[in-house]
Amino acid sequence: MKFPRISGFLAWGYALLLVIPFYYLVVSSFKENDDIFTNPLKLPATWDFGNYGEAVGSADLVPAVANSVIVTGLALALTLLLAVPAAFALSRSTGRAGRIVEATFSLGFLIPTFAALFPTFLLAAFTGLFHTRTFLILLLPATAMPLAVVILTQFMRTIPRELEEAASMDGASTLTILRHVHLPICIPGIATVVLLCFLSFWNEYLYSLIIIGPDPAQRTIQVALPTLQLTTGTDYGVLMAGTVFTLLPVFAVYAITQRQMQRALVSGAVKG
Amino acid sequence: MTTQLDPPRPDLATPPPLRRPDAWRQKFPGLALPGLIWYAVFTIGPVIAMFVIAFLDWPGMLVDPGFAGLGNFRDVFSDPVFWDAVRNSAVQIAVGLPIMMVLAFLLAFYVVRKPRGHKVLRFWLFVPALISAPATALMFYSLLNPDGLVNGVLAALGLDGSRAWLADEATALPSLIMIDLWAGIGYSAVLLASRLDSVDEEIVQAAMVDGANNTRLAWGIYWPIARDFIGVVAMLQFLSILFSSAQNVLLLTKGGPGTSTTTLSYLIYQKAFVDADLGYSQAVGIVLFVVGLIGMFTIRRLLRPTH
Repeated sequence: MKFPRISGFLAWGYALLLVIPFYYLVVSSFKENDDIFTNPLKLPATWDFGNYGEAVGSADLVPAVANSVIVTGLALALTLLLAVPAAFALSRSTGRAGRIVEATFSLGFLIPTFAALFPTFLLAAFTGLFHTRTFLILLLPATAMPLAVVILTQFMRTIPRELEEAASMDGASTLTILRHVHLPICIPGIATVVLLCFLSFWNEYLYSLIIIGPDPAQRTIQVALPTLQLTTGTDYGVLMAGTVFTLLPVFAVYAITQRQMQRALVSGAVKG
Repeated sequence: MTTQLDPPRPDLATPPPLRRPDAWRQKFPGLALPGLIWYAVFTIGPVIAMFVIAFLDWPGMLVDPGFAGLGNFRDVFSDPVFWDAVRNSAVQIAVGLPIMMVLAFLLAFYVVRKPRGHKVLRFWLFVPALISAPATALMFYSLLNPDGLVNGVLAALGLDGSRAWLADEATALPSLIMIDLWAGIGYSAVLLASRLDSVDEEIVQAAMVDGANNTRLAWGIYWPIARDFIGVVAMLQFLSILFSSAQNVLLLTKGGPGTSTTTLSYLIYQKAFVDADLGYSQAVGIVLFVVGLIGMFTIRRLLRPTH
């Protein structure tokens, strides 16, 4: 189909605006400031990983990655542990209580993140978990509940009642039914929730900044990265190396699960 | 009433077994309780606390709070900085959101018509949605610094290439809007494309037989069909600009220079964690919550389905 040249120009122009910053990011991470300023788009003369070493060292990025992995992994597990039974119960309930619970969950989309930050900070102080990643591991699943429950409930609603009834006549308990009837059918829904939560937990910044704070032994990669601005000043090569370093895990997951990730992001946004 | 909503049973030869506990379970979703309690403690609790703190006189964590009544709201509404923040947030949304939606729609339309390379496009459009606020911010910090790529390109074109984009009162807020657009257009386009993909090909073919060109096709057929969905995406991006884009402010400009990039969300942060005026901060939080609600209803009215 033929297009007026202008629309193709706009589309590819925008694509270029998306690609160039990443290209600039990667090539700059191998250069010194002089070279970045005088030849911004030229390939680096040598592929020297010195900037990476400096970024990783001066912002303690290795423990930060470990903390991010711990926080993301445990928060994900907790999310599934809470959301799967909740969705199971909601998909089978037909009364008013179920509808009220569902509506309560969907209210979560209207909460202003910056406004809830200080009361959450108070809650962290009150529970004695302030300045620990533990609090974040407990908090993140709560923020993910609305989306996780909505997506999983929709999946579980597609399961015919006959399947359940047959199982329960064979003497299966509720939990057995959940494990052997619902879980296998819900694998795509669970994959969607896992990918969405991975992205939002791994990328979470604001609450980590305030609640975990500056301790290098506790802070996540997203909190550690911006400290490079202070510790290395305006050494842009080091700054870009640190940024590339934190982006690698996300790009790796996207490269492997491209289709599933796209589908997850679309369904996550639309159901939200 | 609980059984009426069940899907019809195809096999009526075997009567349904009597299962009393299950009937009770259908009325009350007990397995949802742990999730609900968790969600209430960590998410609903802080929101309720916000509504309480907004009515307290609380000048700092170490001071005992007192009751302020509507005092905080009086302070907020008589503070010129608050009105600067209202103006900045309004500009950010009034300029950013329409441009984002129109460009995202055109981009989605282009992608859906499957021109050469549309798969590569779809891959890249998602990328801004994958990367964190700090990574985006640091990238733009280096692109927009006085010696950065943007000025380099401008200088190469013979234009003024010496501006400190984020430290200049005239360009700081526009730069932040550009970052919103950079990240938001691609993601919105992919969401819209997922809806445009399902537009009936027969309608499109019929319109083309009638001689409709691409412009007519986009605005006359795709836009009206996808109108309510465009409303959904607009609402999503509205909330994201209003509630979360202040992370860029926090990372890049800290509200300055002056108050030129202090948005409502950032003002809440600044009053709580820099100025330690907690009642004021949470009063702005309530204002923001109300603005979010009003904005959602407005968008829904503007872009409700026409049929």
